[in-house]
Amino acid sequence: MFSRELTVSDLERLDRIATAAVEALQMDEDTFRAFYDRTARQVWAYLARITGDRSLADDLLQESYYRFLRAERAFTSESHRRNYLFRIATNLAHDRHRRGRGVFNVPVPEENEAGALADGRDLAAETAQRTDLARAMATLKPREREMLWLAYAQGSSHEEIADSLGLRKSSIKILLFRARRRLAAALGGQR
Amino acid sequence: MSARMEGPAPVNFECPRESDVLDALASARWPNRVDRELADHVASCVVCQDVITVASAIQTDHDSAWREASVPSSGQMWWRAEMRARQDAIRDASRPVTVAQGMAVLFALVVVAVGGWFAWPSIYGLFSALSTGDTQSATATTAFASSLFIRLAIAMGAFLIVAPLAIYVVLSEK
Repeated sequence: MFSRELTVSDLERLDRIATAAVEALQMDEDTFRAFYDRTARQVWAYLARITGDRSLADDLLQESYYRFLRAERAFTSESHRRNYLFRIATNLAHDRHRRGRGVFNVPVPEENEAGALADGRDLAAETAQRTDLARAMATLKPREREMLWLAYAQGSSHEEIADSLGLRKSSIKILLFRARRRLAAALGGQR
Repeated sequence: MSARMEGPAPVNFECPRESDVLDALASARWPNRVDRELADHVASCVVCQDVITVASAIQTDHDSAWREASVPSSGQMWWRAEMRARQDAIRDASRPVTVAQGMAVLFALVVVAVGGWFAWPSIYGLFSALSTGDTQSATATTAFASSLFIRLAIAMGAFLIVAPLAIYVVLSEK
């Protein structure tokens, strides 16, 4: 009823809005690319292991960085920035979990690791260990998987874990202890 | 803590030697190249045993995940984010117009319905007069209906002019 052709001034206005949106991103391109190169594999590994789904990890990786770029926050340090990125990733994984795509799958080790034999590792033993871990992780709550991964894969401190998961620092010690006990018991039970 | 204490140790949530154990794991010194004292401690400390079990499994898996990670390049990721930010901004800017258009259509429909409601007796009277051949009543009814429709048409026309102007003013201020 009221539709009309866009005028040149409309297009200019929309272009100004779009340009402003890009300028409002958290970082400029160079800073972002350096930050991404430092963190992307860590974030992907985290997402893949807490969800048990590689393709979901691919999707959530992109969404995490986009939301991070759109965040209107000031960061005090690289660690703060990184923790915030992990918090976004964690929240997105929780959202997917709530929406039903949260069934933790036991990931099948990829076949393209044949080259791993060349570096002397025992591929069969490593694959078996990974499968055991995936099965044991599947018995944990999402929060426990996240906490353990951050602590022992990322080497995050209690403060960093609290920051990344949106929990109180004082509760991390006991929660981590319980999660570690459960995973150790699950791993012990498989061996 | 208290790994050297006699009898069953109290439940501790963490152990002060945990960082030593993690260092030994990270530097691949565990289990063959750690000092005897640390090995003895781990043998008697439940917390450190759990740390060894869990951390060694997770670190091995982390190395595998690192190798299998196939992430888009940083340039590609930036480009996608930039395009999406542009699209989102344009969509957000267009949303008030869409809402205003929807409201305008709804309002117009309400005006027509209300007008129809009030005009219905006149229309009914007109058709009744025409069917009975009462030309005097039909003329009077037609005159009344005409004046009503003219008022409605003026109201609708004014609205159709004012609504886009209001939208324009709102958007240009934004």
